[in-house]
Amino acid sequence: MHRNEMTPIRSVALIGNPNSGKSSVFNQLTGMRQKVGNFPGVTVDKKTGLVALGVDTTIQLVDFPGTYSFYPHSDDERIVVQTLTHPGDRNYPDAIIYVADMTKLDKHLLLYTQLMDLGLPLILALNMSDVAEKEGVKVDVERLQAQLGGPVVVISGRTGQGIDLLKQLLADWATNGAPAPASSFYRLSPAEMVIAREVQQYFPSLNEYQALLTAHHYNWLSHLSKSERDQVANTVSAQHFQSLNSQVEETMDRYDRFTPLLRQSILSVKENVGALTTRLDAILTHRVAGLLIFFGIMLLVFQAIYAWAAYPMDAIEAAFSFLAERVREGLPAGWLSGLIADGLLAGLGGIVVFVPQIAILFFLITLLEEVGYMARAVFLFDRIMQVFGLNGRSVVAMISGGACAIPAVMSTRTISNWKERLITILVTPFISCSARIPVYTVLIGFVVPPERIWGVLSLQGLAFMGLYLLGIAAALLAAIVFKWILKSRERSFLLLELPEYRAPLMRNIWLTVWEKSKTFVVEAGKVIIVISIALWALASFGPPGSMAAAEQEARRQSEQYGFDEHQRDNLIAANRLEASFAGQLGRAIEPAIRPLGFDWKIGIALITSFAAREVFVGTMATIYSLGGADDEATVRDRLSKEKDPITGELVYTPATSASLLIFYVFAMMCMSTLAVVKRETKSWKWPLIQFLFMTGLAYISSLAVSVLCSLFSVLCSLFSVLCSLFSVLC
Amino acid sequence: MVATSQIGKRLADCAPGATGQIAYYAGNEIGAKLMAMGVLPGSMVNVLRFSPWGEGLYIKVDNQLIALRKEEAACIVMK
Repeated sequence: MHRNEMTPIRSVALIGNPNSGKSSVFNQLTGMRQKVGNFPGVTVDKKTGLVALGVDTTIQLVDFPGTYSFYPHSDDERIVVQTLTHPGDRNYPDAIIYVADMTKLDKHLLLYTQLMDLGLPLILALNMSDVAEKEGVKVDVERLQAQLGGPVVVISGRTGQGIDLLKQLLADWATNGAPAPASSFYRLSPAEMVIAREVQQYFPSLNEYQALLTAHHYNWLSHLSKSERDQVANTVSAQHFQSLNSQVEETMDRYDRFTPLLRQSILSVKENVGALTTRLDAILTHRVAGLLIFFGIMLLVFQAIYAWAAYPMDAIEAAFSFLAERVREGLPAGWLSGLIADGLLAGLGGIVVFVPQIAILFFLITLLEEVGYMARAVFLFDRIMQVFGLNGRSVVAMISGGACAIPAVMSTRTISNWKERLITILVTPFISCSARIPVYTVLIGFVVPPERIWGVLSLQGLAFMGLYLLGIAAALLAAIVFKWILKSRERSFLLLELPEYRAPLMRNIWLTVWEKSKTFVVEAGKVIIVISIALWALASFGPPGSMAAAEQEARRQSEQYGFDEHQRDNLIAANRLEASFAGQLGRAIEPAIRPLGFDWKIGIALITSFAAREVFVGTMATIYSLGGADDEATVRDRLSKEKDPITGELVYTPATSASLLIFYVFAMMCMSTLAVVKRETKSWKWPLIQFLFMTGLAYISSLAVSVLCSLFSVLCSLFSVLCSLFSVLC
Repeated sequence: MVATSQIGKRLADCAPGATGQIAYYAGNEIGAKLMAMGVLPGSMVNVLRFSPWGEGLYIKVDNQLIALRKEEAACIVMK
């Protein structure tokens, strides 16, 4: 049944095959007026935008994930069927624009014919007219329009050609109403007809084809209630409905019918398709050269986020500490200036400082995606990553994780298999990021002597590399564990279209960079600010009276020892931190971390470095009343002299330091990453699990190191006792 | 006609450089997915190369380039 009345359209769905150039068309139609949300219940991005169609006419355009047909294999693709078989859905459109690659119409028309059968007004947008022109592909639009019985527009998302025509058509439909397709394309087989009729009895608002799709997909269609699902299941089994067979028959029938139509309306076909692409791929996907080139590109990406981002990051940090300094000077000393300078501004700075890395990584990743290279990376690494339950694209995330886990986690969006994506998100923070470097630098000096092997290889450098390798090994091993634990309804397969190489469209890239940076600042920012303020409060307040007492004690001592103003202030800061809630917490967790060889001072640093790992160095500087002297050499020098007040032994023995190093390699000590993981997985469950297993592993490994070290020293002393005994006896 | 009992060669067993026509799919699930992508019985297939670890195939079907695993290619029966 088709609707006879013509209702003006308000919302339009943009649908197309992957690689049809859909997102370029979306950007052309909406410009900057777009926002990213998500489809209900799943972690699939939903891009919505407004299309201006005249003075006061706008329609809403919803960009759906690219899919090949109504028989989907991933959550992304399922969204399309889910929405279009549920007229009550919030995203159910009034009309559809179907984007097809004009040069591949013989493949891309399948989904179009399926959309025809929904009975919704439908526009066929033949995209990539610029490429078609270059390659000599010509389509008889008039004829195709007549054959399909619906409007056909030739456009180019790249050059903007034809977009105005498309908008005119939409404007007409938005004011005068839109015609539904004259007839449906596919004729249901008798068996399909029976089942569709039965399903329609339960769901009168569905047309025949929607009812058939419901019979195919009732298992996972989430809008069905338990009883509705059971009803459809009963019908399906009572009629012995063979879903897979019917699916194949339907698909074949559609091809058999539209292929002859196309032969009449495609006037000339390009001959040697993708000659340039094939030539390039002979090198880029070569089993040796391809891998080398990939690692070369990744080295460049790493270099860009690691080194190039340092300049804007330094500038941002300087700007925020300048602002904080102004606040401290401008406002009377007290909790307000502390809240603004050390809570709010520190939190804000902690967010904004990551923007250069995020922007640069997404610029490069989107560039690689746009030119078509990413699909090749998947092809190259599919097998090896499969072993670890990961995806070819996970390589990119894990390498980026070497700079910073935040953009790396965000970059997993391009992994379409949910399980593979989740594992990538969960294990990427094991890769040593740049924030761990200051911690490593301070602590390695205690464990490894500054010597060289054969006069060339620095032992400390080797230890550094060892820590990185440890992180990588942990990531891969954890991935294998998750591969076994996590269940997935998605069957793992690789059937990937390798798009032809194209010059990148800069507008698409900038829009992605802008959208990713904005999402990070807004979404992760909320969480980070709250935690930053909480950490500030913990470090600045203590049980009533104790803070004042600590300060007075510091003043008394300063006078006693004749400290100058600077030394006095540092001692006050150290005593206050000790007396604060953070200090109390440090003492409270001391029993738990004692077995690892850590005292309560390290406990405080562990708590505060949750804001960001590099805060460890700064906190250590404050605790040891070094004031602003938070450069690594000074801190290391001071720590090397620290003694246990009871036993009189050095605190930073090689054993403690090794244990602490291992702890920092594994522990999830970064609230920003957790905030981003929450944002990407849309629940607190995964960041919580991640925090627990990473920190748990850190604890166990640290304990092991600590125990082994003390065993070793016991053995050493035993040995020396034996030696002396032996020498006495002799 | 099917005069011999010989089963058609699978795409997974083809060497790089081989060309042929798809006869049918052994396995409806992969078959359905391939068909949705426009890889149909009767399509011309050209095996361009294997992936570095040999478990992936880079093929050209009509006018498109596709990467797939050997497992999937084993479901494609050639003429």
